[in-house]
Amino acid sequence: MRPLVLLVAAVAAAAAAEAAPAEPPRGPHRLVVGAELSAAVGPHDGGFFNYTSYEESAQRLARLSLTAEWRVSEPVALLGEVRDENLGRPRVYALYARVRPWRERAFDLQAGLIPPVFGAFARRRYGGDNPLIGYPLLYQYLTSLRPDAAPGSAGDLIANRGGGWRVRYPLGWGDAYPSPGLPVVNALRWDAGVQVRIGSEPVEASAALTQGTLSSPRVRDDNSGKQLSVRAVWKPVTGLVLGASGARGEYLSRSVRQALPEGRSGRGLQQAWGADLEYSRDRWIVRSEAIWSRWDTPALARALQALGLTGEVRCKLVPGLYGAARIDHLGFSRIDGPGGPVSWDAPVWRGEAGAGYTPFRHALAKVSYQRNWRNGGRVQELGLAIGQLVLWF
Amino acid sequence: MARLPMLALAVAAGAATPRPARAAAGSIRGRVEVTREPPAPDARPTVGELGMPAARDVPNRRRSVVYLEAAPQGAFEEHERGRTVMDQRNETFVPYVLAVGVGTTVDFTNSDRTYHNVFSLSKAKRFDLGRYARGQSKSVRFDRPGVVRVFCEIHSHMSAFILVFAHRFFATTDGEGRYRIDNVPPGTYTIVAWNDGETRGSRSVRVGDEGGVVEQDFVVR
Repeated sequence: MRPLVLLVAAVAAAAAAEAAPAEPPRGPHRLVVGAELSAAVGPHDGGFFNYTSYEESAQRLARLSLTAEWRVSEPVALLGEVRDENLGRPRVYALYARVRPWRERAFDLQAGLIPPVFGAFARRRYGGDNPLIGYPLLYQYLTSLRPDAAPGSAGDLIANRGGGWRVRYPLGWGDAYPSPGLPVVNALRWDAGVQVRIGSEPVEASAALTQGTLSSPRVRDDNSGKQLSVRAVWKPVTGLVLGASGARGEYLSRSVRQALPEGRSGRGLQQAWGADLEYSRDRWIVRSEAIWSRWDTPALARALQALGLTGEVRCKLVPGLYGAARIDHLGFSRIDGPGGPVSWDAPVWRGEAGAGYTPFRHALAKVSYQRNWRNGGRVQELGLAIGQLVLWF
Repeated sequence: MARLPMLALAVAAGAATPRPARAAAGSIRGRVEVTREPPAPDARPTVGELGMPAARDVPNRRRSVVYLEAAPQGAFEEHERGRTVMDQRNETFVPYVLAVGVGTTVDFTNSDRTYHNVFSLSKAKRFDLGRYARGQSKSVRFDRPGVVRVFCEIHSHMSAFILVFAHRFFATTDGEGRYRIDNVPPGTYTIVAWNDGETRGSRSVRVGDEGGVVEQDFVVR
């Protein structure tokens, strides 16, 4: 990581020096800070449908988020975000430099702990950007894969089917430390690396080289592998956004590779493709996203695959009040088990519908009802009524 | 939020001491000098963006409104049903401050390539115009006096003020801070300068029976 940071710092400094006038420009908003406090309250999620990689439930979560954007000069800005969840240890969620080396060219460079290029949902930063309280399954639901442990056989996978909250595997650290599995794309952690964006409306493209993968973003490298992710966006008319994304990187840690029995090897690749759509007009916003992902596991001959679909709609009813709904599905490929072919993790469906009310501009109160269905695991069906209050400035 | 009841009171009362009719009407004019640095726009950090946000204009926060706190009897019955425009250009409301009489319709035009979604949660007028594209316009009629704070739901840095008066004795300042209120009946009035969401100063002025022009300047620090 160190050479990467040095390279980025050098590029940023060079760009800043090239563009810096004799006197620093006096922008009207050189430093912008913001804060958001959100608190979600709901019943105990006995099926762990809403738990995240931080071992918190997204529907029983108090979060304080502090964000800052410092425009150092016209072409250079520094951005960061620190989050605290349920009064735990504060975490740096984002910390990166943004550089536009040429004023007249639509070319941007970002480096550090950066927003993900892949997909659409993970960059929705603020509470108001998510009209509901829960997350799409694709970005939050914990599968039974781990980055630091791997199944030794199909039977190990099947034993953890529908139990992504606590996964044990024989290879790596899995036996010693049962741990949460990986989501298809982790929206709650950002990856460290470098990202470029070129173009502007109606077509733009982005690419990023990062330490971790979509499922397992990382600040520090743990396997000497890098992820390349790309995204293209087309906005043919105002209000319509079409996106396509791809990513490929190594998610298995070095410790798993070292624990592999002799004769077995594998880099542990995650590859993913995604397509997303957003159309908005008048009082309506409709969003849809599909992501296909595959993970190589050293002990299994066939790669494990997952396909997730999500659709969301929001409609404003009267000033300050909206209604919203989302439907999600996450399905998994089949493997050969002792009792015949079976999906390697339990397929999940989720439906959520709710409303949001803004009594004044800096507050948003949401209520929703979420229902989950899973074809496996200890709890296979669960309904949750959830409330959330979001305050921001 | 103290400014809201202040303005509501101002437009509802008739406590001035105008002279009887037939006396010549006068004018009040002057300059509002805003010496303080306008505050930064109400924006949120763009942490989730994949690059520099598009360049945008900075609203003219030096534009002020000057009005009579209490108008002559009968002034409240003269409702102008006019029409005016608040544009959205380079992610900025133009003008930043609009002063209108009760009954006025404001057309919110969109001159940007992106969507805008104008809304207000103010007590004087709650509305939400939804998302609409370049070249389109949506209208709102303001039927109650008060201060209406206007925002764009998509761009958090966009905001503006619309001051709705129940009488006609108000004016907005020009590029040099100058204002002029005409046809003021003789009498003694409290004149108020308002800037960027707050009442910044008030003075007592007297328009004589012979009419004429009364000068009154303000300095906003």
